[in-house]
Amino acid sequence: LLELMENGSGCLNGSGAADSAEKAQQQQQCPAVQLSERNCEAVRVIGQYLRELGLARSAEALVLEAGCPLESGAAAQFRSSVLLGDWDGAEASLASLRRALWRESSWSEIAFRLAEQRYLELLESGAHIAALCVLRGKLTPLQFSPDRLHRLSGLIMCSGPEELRQLSGWSGAAGGTRQALLDSVEQFFPPSVMLPPKRLSVLLDQAVRAQVSRCRHHNTSLSPDQLTLLADHSCQAAASVPSVCSQVLDAHQDEVHVCQFSPNGRFLATGGRDCVAIVWLVEAAANPPGAPRVRHHLTLRIGEERGGVAWLAWSPDSRLLLACAAEEATEVIVWEAETGDCIKKLKHRDEDSLTTAAWLPDSNHFVVGGNRGHFYLCSVDVGFEKAWDFIRVVALATRREDDGGTAVLAADTFARIRRYRFDTMQDETLFREDGPVMSMSISQDETLLAVCVASAGVHLWDLRLRVCRRRLHGLTHGAYLLHASIGGPNQDFVASGSHDARVCVWHRGCQAGDGAQQHLLPDKLSGHGGLVSCVSWNPRHHGMLASASDDCTVRIWLPASLAAAALAASADGTGPGGAGFSSNGCCSSTVSKHQPPPLL
Amino acid sequence: KSPGFNASYSMGRLHIEHMGGERVFSCANCDCPLTNRQQLISTRFTGATGRAFLFNRVVNLDTSELQDRVMLTGRHMVRDVSCRKCKTKLGWVYEFATEESQQYKEGKIILERALINESEGFPDPVKD
Repeated sequence: LLELMENGSGCLNGSGAADSAEKAQQQQQCPAVQLSERNCEAVRVIGQYLRELGLARSAEALVLEAGCPLESGAAAQFRSSVLLGDWDGAEASLASLRRALWRESSWSEIAFRLAEQRYLELLESGAHIAALCVLRGKLTPLQFSPDRLHRLSGLIMCSGPEELRQLSGWSGAAGGTRQALLDSVEQFFPPSVMLPPKRLSVLLDQAVRAQVSRCRHHNTSLSPDQLTLLADHSCQAAASVPSVCSQVLDAHQDEVHVCQFSPNGRFLATGGRDCVAIVWLVEAAANPPGAPRVRHHLTLRIGEERGGVAWLAWSPDSRLLLACAAEEATEVIVWEAETGDCIKKLKHRDEDSLTTAAWLPDSNHFVVGGNRGHFYLCSVDVGFEKAWDFIRVVALATRREDDGGTAVLAADTFARIRRYRFDTMQDETLFREDGPVMSMSISQDETLLAVCVASAGVHLWDLRLRVCRRRLHGLTHGAYLLHASIGGPNQDFVASGSHDARVCVWHRGCQAGDGAQQHLLPDKLSGHGGLVSCVSWNPRHHGMLASASDDCTVRIWLPASLAAAALAASADGTGPGGAGFSSNGCCSSTVSKHQPPPLL
Repeated sequence: KSPGFNASYSMGRLHIEHMGGERVFSCANCDCPLTNRQQLISTRFTGATGRAFLFNRVVNLDTSELQDRVMLTGRHMVRDVSCRKCKTKLGWVYEFATEESQQYKEGKIILERALINESEGFPDPVKD
């Protein structure tokens, strides 16, 4: 191998090169630059890149000046012969390259491919006699792949080049097939003889992909080959990750325990100890576009004796809102969100405790449950339908299954997450957590489940592979219930509340610099004055996050770039919700009043 | 602020665990679930209000600072335990026993019989 290389390098008298003497003279005229092996490889790779772009003269000049030929002389000869259609010359060069092969056994395959190209080109140009000679004299003796040989001989019957191309799937001499032949042959030779195809493109792509995997806030749908090479890629946090509180909603009179955006992103529901559920409208400001603001819409009351709103669930069509009350909750209430009409008050038995709920995809059926052991399937039309006995439910979610039915996912007091089918009465344990489960939240595409485990953080389970994908740490533990939410265009972001009054945001796809995937720390958003119990991502405006806290407020967080736009809109009174405080129950905070949130 | 606002309420919604079981013990004051009969080790203990039970594991308790107490059975280091929900004192937990014969109690919890209720639970239907 070295022999072939040396023959081609330095003095450029590679085997069979006709003008080698001339080139050697030119070489001696250029100043000799001593290149290390790595530099020589780099030059070869660049030269190949230039040649692929069609800048052949630049490639040649580069090779001359650097004294690093792209490939051995015989390989260069082979390449030019194939591209020119000089088949005999190609065969001769190939013969001299035979020693360099990785495996001797691949020889017949290469020879076959070369002869095959020759045969097809001859057929295409109408030289059937010559083609037949190639078939008999070159292809058949190789005894390689009788099937292919048979197919090739069948092609002789083709009436014209069009039919030939169609039947064989070969795109013709002018269709880039000569280059394709060269690309396919390259794999049989070591890189010192022939470079692997498109080597520099491959290296650049690998580098960009590595940068993407380290991007802490990766939130773009651009593919790696669309990203710039001129600087290491990292998504601007300002554009994608919420970091600024753009609104403080203080219409609640007591601690706020739940907040949920509707699936269509148009509504926000909040509720807490003051026994009201408030529905807010999300409006994307027209000027400038894309800066969403929240405006009060309705206040819905549940009875005072119920200890507050424990859970709010939106129907999948975003039309209905369901509220569960706290521990003594015997009744769940369903309203129509737009009008505030109470559609259903569902009560089954006096001793029930129904503190959590989830809707099924038909926006009519829903499941409710509580840790006293009540677990019911109900519907808006009929009311109570079915009970599943003796399961102490902590959290609920639903998921469509392949056979068209819906599985209910329930976390119970034994730290199990199980799957229940109310139609077939089948059940199955999916996961066992290693600590008590506080709450559960499913991603919008129903592939990921975020489970908040007491004193352990947020665990992300993959529902298709049935494994725990990530354990997210960094939130502050304590005695109170926390909720998490999965959001972002690719379900990449996870947010949760925390006992230290801050909102935690993780990007689950990012690999920490040292490869320690498990120990990714969250960004923490400060501003609340008390425990943050619940968070919710807006499914339509991806960077928008709502958080509910014991300081009796709900805060809306936006990425810095959007937030600046939103505040500008409200400041000059042209944006929606820009008029006053008491009329719509919310006040907007200006950026200057708040400390910039620490990002770690 | 709100008409129902009660200063004695804790902030946030408490995370209340539940151990299940066929006979469930809960706080007599607020019915917060604590433990079950499977966790019961002995009924032959005495507390301030009379009879007391020794349990292996109890949930939803807050513990006090460590206290040095001399009891009938010797010197022990204990912490008082109270119901996490209503803060009623319910008993104590043994952290350290000076006498070797008493070391079996370490980590176990005493709940006074008069301060807890026993009620009917149900068995776990899941077989796997």
